[in-house]
Amino acid sequence: MGEPFDFSYVWSFLPKLLSTLSTTLLIVVSSLLAGIIVGFIVALPRLYKVPVLRTLSEIYISFFRGTPILIQLFLFYYGLPEILKLVQVDVTRAPVLVFVILTYGLHTGAYMSEMIRASVTAVDKGQVEAAYAAGMTGYQAFTRIVLPQALAIAVPVFSNLVIALLKDTSLAFTLGVMEMTGKAQTLGAVTQHFIETYIALALIYLVISFSIEKLLGMAEHRLLRHEDRNSPVKKTFGIHRNRSYRRIIAEMESGKGGVGL
Amino acid sequence: MKLDPSFIWTAFLQLLSVIPTTLYITIVSVLVGFLIGTCVALIRIYKVPVLYPVAAGYVTFIRGTPMLTHLLLIYFGLPMIIDGLAVHYGWSFRAASIPMIGFAYISFSITAGAYMSEVVRSGLLAVDKGQLEAAHAVGMTTPQALRRIVCPQALAASLPNLSNSVIGMLHGSTLAFTVSVVDINAKAQIVASTNWKFFEAYLAAALIFWGLTVLIERAAALIEKRINLYNRGGVA
Repeated sequence: MGEPFDFSYVWSFLPKLLSTLSTTLLIVVSSLLAGIIVGFIVALPRLYKVPVLRTLSEIYISFFRGTPILIQLFLFYYGLPEILKLVQVDVTRAPVLVFVILTYGLHTGAYMSEMIRASVTAVDKGQVEAAYAAGMTGYQAFTRIVLPQALAIAVPVFSNLVIALLKDTSLAFTLGVMEMTGKAQTLGAVTQHFIETYIALALIYLVISFSIEKLLGMAEHRLLRHEDRNSPVKKTFGIHRNRSYRRIIAEMESGKGGVGL
Repeated sequence: MKLDPSFIWTAFLQLLSVIPTTLYITIVSVLVGFLIGTCVALIRIYKVPVLYPVAAGYVTFIRGTPMLTHLLLIYFGLPMIIDGLAVHYGWSFRAASIPMIGFAYISFSITAGAYMSEVVRSGLLAVDKGQLEAAHAVGMTTPQALRRIVCPQALAASLPNLSNSVIGMLHGSTLAFTVSVVDINAKAQIVASTNWKFFEAYLAAALIFWGLTVLIERAAALIEKRINLYNRGGVA
């Protein structure tokens, strides 16, 4: 299939793919921002157990976690203009990127809200009680005691979500957005060097997810300053527990695969 | 284009026929992935000399790149390797005789393997070291202790992660359309474009996936309840 394998093409494809990196990152960053906002809005009714809104946000989360992102992309791309037409809004001329960012934003929002909820509830109840005992108000207790701890718990999950989002953006090409994967496919089709383009593509994704992981790992380290810093003893063999309990909890609850799916 | 609710049902019925394809891809990739994952996890936990960096590199690479690139790399790379070998050794087998779905099986299994290895590893690490020591103390060998003591507990601990991975693979199987396998997503595309009713067809597909996901979650919750029986607190 295609031309014979020639590794030098990988290097020549790298800069060409990198020229579309900005589109990929634009999708990632804007849908991340949208996702955080949506996530907060959706998480609040569940945290405070608001009757009807709580059910609504549960349905929202269930839907966005229960259907593949690819289906959601098509659903929004084809469905949203039709629904908005019913209320006399014409979005058929809106750029594709808007739909893509909206879909990824809503999709990430569902996972974000789970992350927010899980990390707020993971903070020990005794902490809030102690804050009250020390005479803080509810707001003070949240901002001074719960939030800093919840942030530290959320970081590993957050980093997984960002990486998952980065990798999900590779699907945006199905709607014709020229991001890295779309570019790779056209490059492959033009030069017939498919494998080389995809190797270059994989390398770029790998480097980006690796840097995201490292950056957020540093952030986590900083946020966990208050935890005991005696490094856990490394056992030489066998089953052992050498990581912080919180990290394990966070991984258990992430729901979206590690350096994501 | 006008919204046509009755077409959702028509599309739904047509999509039912391809559910097995999606499920095959999911089940094969999860099972093979679990095998790969267990091997990789054991290699990483026991730090087997030469294999350890290979296993770590495999997991990092797979988890750091999108599933789509794995599929495309396998789809374009594997035939080249096989045909090259076939010419070199004079086999009659050619890559063209691999069915399309084979590529999906192979690539998704490789993807699932990396994710499963993390699931298995975190499950094994979640078991208290004291359990293994106690097993050694009553005279079990390490394989015995792993099989009788550690694995059942690790399975219980990793079940939520396991069901998430299964759901992840179910959702990932929608990518199979890129190698022209007709799964639910591809069928929805076909139904949509032949009838020019995109929204309705994808809505039906979304409903099917939603239903499947809820089913998997329910099943996992049931199994979890059963498997965690040993772990009840309080008096026996």
